[in-house]
Amino acid sequence: MKKIARYLLALYIIISINFFIPRLMPGDPITNLMGEDYIASQDSIDALKAELGLDKPLLVQYVTYWGDVIRLDLGHSLHFHTEVLQIIASKLFWTTVLVGLSILFGTLFGAILGALSGWGKNDPKNKILTTFFLWIYCIPPFFLSLIVLYVFAFKIGIFPLRGFYETGTFTDIAKHFFLPVLVLSLSLASRNYMIMRGSVIQEKGKLYILYARAKGLLNRGILFRHVFKNASLPLITLVALDIGFIISGALFVEIVFSMNGMGTLIFDALLARDYPVLQGIFLIITIMVVLANFLADIVYGIIDPRVREQR
Amino acid sequence: MQFLNQVSQILGKKSFKKIYILIGLLILIPILKPGPRVGYGIAKNQNKRILRIGTSDRVRSANIFLDSYMSVFAQLSNPPLMKMTPDGRIVGQIAKDIHSSSDYMRWEFHIQGDLYWSDGGSVTAEDVKFTIEYIRDRSPVAGWMKDTIDTVSISDEKTVILQLKRPYTRLDVEMATHGLLPKHIWQSIDTPMQYINPGENVGCGPFFIQKIDLNRGVILFAQNPFWKGPNPKIDAIEVHIYQNIDVLSLALDKGEVDVFYNYASSYPYQNLKKIRANSRFDFIEKLSTGLIFLGLNLGKAPMSDLRFREALSFAINYREIIKLDSLGYGKIPNRGLLPPSIEHYKDTTPLEYNPEKAKQILDDSGYGDHNSDGIREAHDGKNLTLTLLVRPVHARLAELIQDYLRSVGIKTTTKSVDTSTWINLKDRYRYDLTIARTTPWGMIVHAGWATGYFDSRRTGEGVLHNIDDPKFFKLCDDLLSTRNKEKLRYSAFQVQDYYNSQLPAIPLYWNVFVTPFHTKFQGWLTNPLYGIFNIDNFLNIEPTPN
Repeated sequence: MKKIARYLLALYIIISINFFIPRLMPGDPITNLMGEDYIASQDSIDALKAELGLDKPLLVQYVTYWGDVIRLDLGHSLHFHTEVLQIIASKLFWTTVLVGLSILFGTLFGAILGALSGWGKNDPKNKILTTFFLWIYCIPPFFLSLIVLYVFAFKIGIFPLRGFYETGTFTDIAKHFFLPVLVLSLSLASRNYMIMRGSVIQEKGKLYILYARAKGLLNRGILFRHVFKNASLPLITLVALDIGFIISGALFVEIVFSMNGMGTLIFDALLARDYPVLQGIFLIITIMVVLANFLADIVYGIIDPRVREQR
Repeated sequence: MQFLNQVSQILGKKSFKKIYILIGLLILIPILKPGPRVGYGIAKNQNKRILRIGTSDRVRSANIFLDSYMSVFAQLSNPPLMKMTPDGRIVGQIAKDIHSSSDYMRWEFHIQGDLYWSDGGSVTAEDVKFTIEYIRDRSPVAGWMKDTIDTVSISDEKTVILQLKRPYTRLDVEMATHGLLPKHIWQSIDTPMQYINPGENVGCGPFFIQKIDLNRGVILFAQNPFWKGPNPKIDAIEVHIYQNIDVLSLALDKGEVDVFYNYASSYPYQNLKKIRANSRFDFIEKLSTGLIFLGLNLGKAPMSDLRFREALSFAINYREIIKLDSLGYGKIPNRGLLPPSIEHYKDTTPLEYNPEKAKQILDDSGYGDHNSDGIREAHDGKNLTLTLLVRPVHARLAELIQDYLRSVGIKTTTKSVDTSTWINLKDRYRYDLTIARTTPWGMIVHAGWATGYFDSRRTGEGVLHNIDDPKFFKLCDDLLSTRNKEKLRYSAFQVQDYYNSQLPAIPLYWNVFVTPFHTKFQGWLTNPLYGIFNIDNFLNIEPTPN
C-alpha cells in the first residue's frame, strides 16, 4: 500500500513537471507554426493562443491540464494537425516494435553472454568477446547506425536505407527493422554484458557457490540456477529504466534510418514547442517507466527472498 | 530461471560455441540473401516512368493546407493562381490573365477554361472564391489577407473579383504560394488545423496526390486523369522523405532517388564531390536569389553606429568564408546586399576584406584599446563584447566571424540556440549580432528586394525587423505603391543604394544552389522560388532516350 502511494506521488510530481518544463523553454507553440517564410498577424496569433488556452493564467492552465489528463484527453496538436493520442498511438506502435525487440535481444544476449563470460576462464575467446562488447559500448549508437547503414544498405545493398516499410509485408518490415534493431540491441547488449559479467565475477567468490559445488551441481547448473539470479538484480533495474529512456534515446537511430517513430516525434515536438504533444509523450513515458519499475519491484521480490521478507 | 537452466542443460558444455554459431547465423542468414541490384525497393514498376524525388524537408502531417513543407509539395496537385517563371517573373498559372484597377483596390483573376479536378469536376471561379475566403478566414498565416481583402465575388464562371480594403500592388505575388482547394471537398472541413488526409487529395494539376504515407516516408503523385493541358512525359512522381541529409545523399548516389530537392536549399556542398564522381548524374547550378548575412541589432550601440558597421564589414574574410562554409559554391557579395539573380539588380561596391582598414576605422571612431588588454572599448569605456546569436546550422560561420572580429579587437560570445529560441530572442532584440539567411520567397514578399527582412513595421519567423528609419519606410512604401516597371526599377535601385550606404546587414556570401539529377531524365526547368519543384518542370522533363 505504501509502495502504491509512493508511485502515485511520483506520478503526480512527474506529470506536474511535464506541464511546467515545456513552458519554461523560450518560445511557444505559435512561434514557429508555419516555417520561416510566413507571417502570422497578431490577431491570428491571439486567436490561436486562445484556442490552445495559452492566454489564460498558468494556474488555470495547470488545473485544466490535470482535468484533461484525468479524462485522458491529450488535446490536439497545432503542428501535426490531429489528436495527440492518435499521433502517439501511431508512432508508439512502430517504436514499441523497434525498442521492444532491441530490449529483448539486448537483454537476452547481453545477460547470457555476460554471465558466461564472467563465469568462464579468461581465455582468448572470452577476451575477444569482451573486447568486442567494450568496442561496441564505446561507439555512440548514431555512429554505429551510420556504419552499418553504409556497409549493409549502401555498399552491399541488402537492406533498405530508410523507413519502417516499403510494401508492408512481414519480410519487408523485418528487412527494414533488421539494422536498427541490430544497432540498438548491440548497444544494449554491450552494456548488459559488462554489468552481467562484473556481477557474475563478484558472485563467483561467494560461499553459496562452493556449497552448490559440494552438493554436486555442475558448472552450468550453478551458473544458471543460482548465480544468474543473484547477478541479474542490477540488470532488472536498468532494463526497467530502459523502457523510458530508449524511447527517446532511439532518436538518433530513427534519424539515421529515417524512421518516423517516437524519438523523432519528441524531437519535432521539442523544436516546435508543441506543448500538447510533449505533455502527451512525457505522460506515456512516465506511465511506462512507473509501470516498469513497479514490475521490476515485483520481479525483485520473486528473485530475491530477502526483498520479499523485507515487505 | 527454470527456462535458463533448461537451456543450459540442453546446450551442455558446448554452449559457448553453440550460442556464437546461433548469433552468427541470425546475423548472416538475412545478409547472405541476395538483395536487389539497384537498390532496395526500386526494382519494381519497371515499365512505369516514375520520377523519384529525395528530400529531407520534414513533412510533419498529411495536411496539404497547413503543413509548411506538405503545402509546398501539394502545389503540384493544387497549384496556386500564379507562378514564377524560370526568369523570376510572376505570371498566371490557374489564372489565365489578371487585371487590377489603377488604384490597386480591385483585382480580377480570369481562370483557365480547361482545368478539371482529379475527380472529374470542372475548376470554377467558385473554387477560387472559396479558396481565398477559406485561407483568409481559417489560415493562421494569412494575416495579410484579413487586413487586405474586403470581398471576394464572381462575375462569371471563370472570373473572380477581389475588392481590397487598401491599395495593394503585390497581390499577384502573394497568390503564387496558396494552392487552390476544391470547394466540394473542403467546404465540409470546418477545422483545417485538425485535419489530415493521408489518402487521395483531389487536385487540379497535371498530377494529384494519391497517398501520403509518412511512416513509409513517401508522397505519391499520379497523373490527373482529367488533365487537359500538355501531356506529362512521366507517369508518376514520388517524393521520398529522408530524415538525414547524408543518408539522402547515399540514396541519390545509389539510384534510389533521381533528384535532390529541399525548399530554398542546395544539395549539401560537402557531399558534392562524391556525387560528381558518379557519371550517372548531372547538375543544375544557379546563383540563388537568397543569401547568408550578418544581422545587426541596429537599435543598440555600437551596431547603431554606421562607422562601426563599416569596420565590421572590412573585418570579415569573405573569400575564406566561401571556401570553408560553402566549399567554394558562393560569391563575394556586394554592399548592396542583393545578388545579381534578383530582378532590377544594381551593381554596388563589392565587400572587401581589409582588417587594417577595419582597425583604422575603429581607432578613428573612438573604439580604441585604451587599456591595452587586446579588446577595444566602446564609447562608454567598457570592453566591446558582443553577443553573436546563432542557430546550430550556422555554428561554423559563427566561429569564423568570432575569429575575424577578435583579430580586430572585438570580443564576441556565441550563443547557439534552437530555432524557437532564436526567434524568441531576435524578436525581443536580445542579441548584438546574428547570422540569418534569406529565402527566395522572403526576397519578394512585402515590398520585395529583401525589405521584408528589415522593415520594423512587420514581424515574422525569419525576419529581423530591425530598421526603424523613416527613409527606409518611404522606400518600402514607394515600392508598394506601384506596378510600373520603371518606377519599380528606380525604387529597387534606391533600396540597394540604401543597403550600400547604411549597411543594415552585412552579406556574408551569395550562395549557389546545386541540384544533382539522374541523367535518365532530361529537360529540367527551375524557377527561383521553388527550384525544380514546379509544374512547368514536371510537364517538361522526360526520360532520356537510350
